[in-house]
Amino acid sequence: MRRETWAMLRAELFQLRKRTSTWVLLGIWAAMGLFFGYVLPYLIETPDGADAGPVAGLLPERMIGEVVSGFPFYGGAIAIMLGVLSVGSEFGWGTFKTLFTQRPGRGAVIGSKLGALAVVLLPFVLVSFAIGGAASSLIALREGYAIDFGSMGDLVLAILAGWMILAVWASVGVLLAVATRGTSLAIGIGIIWALVIEGLLGVFVESVSWLEWVNSVMLRSNAYSLVEPLGGGTEGDGPGAFTGPYVDPGQALLTLGLLMVVSLGISLALMMRRDVA
Amino acid sequence: MHDYVIETTGLTKRYGDIAAVESLDLRVRRGEVFGFLGANGAGKTTTLRMLLGLIRPTGGHAVVMGEKPGAAASLARIGSMIETPAFYPHLSGRDNLHVLAAYAGIGRDRIDAALEQVDLDKRAGDAFRTYSLGMKQRLGVAAALMKDPALLILDEPTNGLDPAGMAEMRTLIRKLGDEGRTVIVSSHLMVEIEQVCDRAAMISNGTLIAEGTIDELRGEDVLVIEADPLDEACQLVAGLPGVREVRPGAGELRVSGTDGLDPARINARLVREGIEVRELRRERSSLESVFLSLTNGSGTGDADDGGLDSMHPSHEKEVLYAS
Repeated sequence: MRRETWAMLRAELFQLRKRTSTWVLLGIWAAMGLFFGYVLPYLIETPDGADAGPVAGLLPERMIGEVVSGFPFYGGAIAIMLGVLSVGSEFGWGTFKTLFTQRPGRGAVIGSKLGALAVVLLPFVLVSFAIGGAASSLIALREGYAIDFGSMGDLVLAILAGWMILAVWASVGVLLAVATRGTSLAIGIGIIWALVIEGLLGVFVESVSWLEWVNSVMLRSNAYSLVEPLGGGTEGDGPGAFTGPYVDPGQALLTLGLLMVVSLGISLALMMRRDVA
Repeated sequence: MHDYVIETTGLTKRYGDIAAVESLDLRVRRGEVFGFLGANGAGKTTTLRMLLGLIRPTGGHAVVMGEKPGAAASLARIGSMIETPAFYPHLSGRDNLHVLAAYAGIGRDRIDAALEQVDLDKRAGDAFRTYSLGMKQRLGVAAALMKDPALLILDEPTNGLDPAGMAEMRTLIRKLGDEGRTVIVSSHLMVEIEQVCDRAAMISNGTLIAEGTIDELRGEDVLVIEADPLDEACQLVAGLPGVREVRPGAGELRVSGTDGLDPARINARLVREGIEVRELRRERSSLESVFLSLTNGSGTGDADDGGLDSMHPSHEKEVLYAS
């Protein structure tokens, strides 16, 4: 990596690190993972100290699947917000005009921002697994089970899959921010998309045949399909429930990759062409 | 043959039917402090944005530092501040400059020097969001200076500054010009431009209405004579050598002429002829009066008033006596 490129990336990472919203989102993400992934299920499964048998899904050996199943659902909402805020706020602050009149040009500025966003997503992924590891270990200790996290290979795959899912959602966030030149509308549209539209499509897909193809290119179905082999699936009919149809994990990876490339490509094209007010 | 740092030909920016800038031909010479004057909404900022590659013209073209606007090679040598300075609110002034230094590819050693130059070094560690408008303005100038630029483009640099800050800013701009840098200062404050600029252009409704040195724009001095009887004084003065035109006004004559126009001799002649001279003074046109006369007093007048040749329409109206 060229020295100048590295310097720009470090500068972007620095300003993201200094931003309160980055830490707030990380905190919310961590809290949601802990509360909805472990605390709430544990309280439901062991009312009044009843038999701990049903907590098997919360033990370390199922940690990878448990943690990774949160990425396609609320991980998407968090990543969209992160993507929107990392780029959209610059429109409100007017900082694009300041950055674009420095030396490197628009492409390098946007590239640095996207690179920094990609790096920032990694702690989000790692934190969720760290919390999953700690929470599942505590439950295992309390319930008298062995602490066994399973295959290290699966853990690495889960981390990569988790990063990929967050990165695609964040890319959609970037696109929405660029398209709307701001944050409020972009976050609104993003949240509706992630939590409502994708969910409703999943509900009707079994009744309307042509929706199956639409569903096969949707972000959530591909994200669940990617983590399903790692034990990441959902049960029941809650807001984040996904019962299929699943696509092949390879196809899911390809589709997610394409969605990311298309989102970022359109964003970059818009930023390169548009006037900066 | 002049060495132009900025040259625009027919530069135009239209938003639908509205022309923000229309067929602008502008030339800024190397090493001059160039003023860009116009009322709010006249098209100054749009023009400067086009010169920096922030917005694309819908017609014409511009060459900045020998390159297309927005080219990396030219941006590396341009320091700019467009409208209100825009920085990251959650970062301190110094940290903001660190980020910009990384993008500009310059060393951090220039940051402190730039902060000192604008007298912001003591507050450089505070978050940008806590700055007053004046401090934000100074940080914007520091960011522009940090690049050690050959060309500075400053859009309304004294906005939000108190009188002392405005005076400091003017001194700084003049100093930068004296160092051999080319500086473009846009402003709607005519006095400001008059004080610091070598040349200036006036823009109204997106169209260039005048361009020249400050003296050329201001026009020649006028001799104002209050005398009685005015008619006789008018006839007499009109026939004197060096007098080009005499315009009678409310109880006074406004006399313009060649360099040889000598107030003392005119006064002596009037007195000798028994005309009572109550007051005789030399009056210099200000950029403001010129601008207002060119724009019919509104600052947004008819853009077809023309260029330098029609800089003094008031001098050309109702000339009753002329030599």
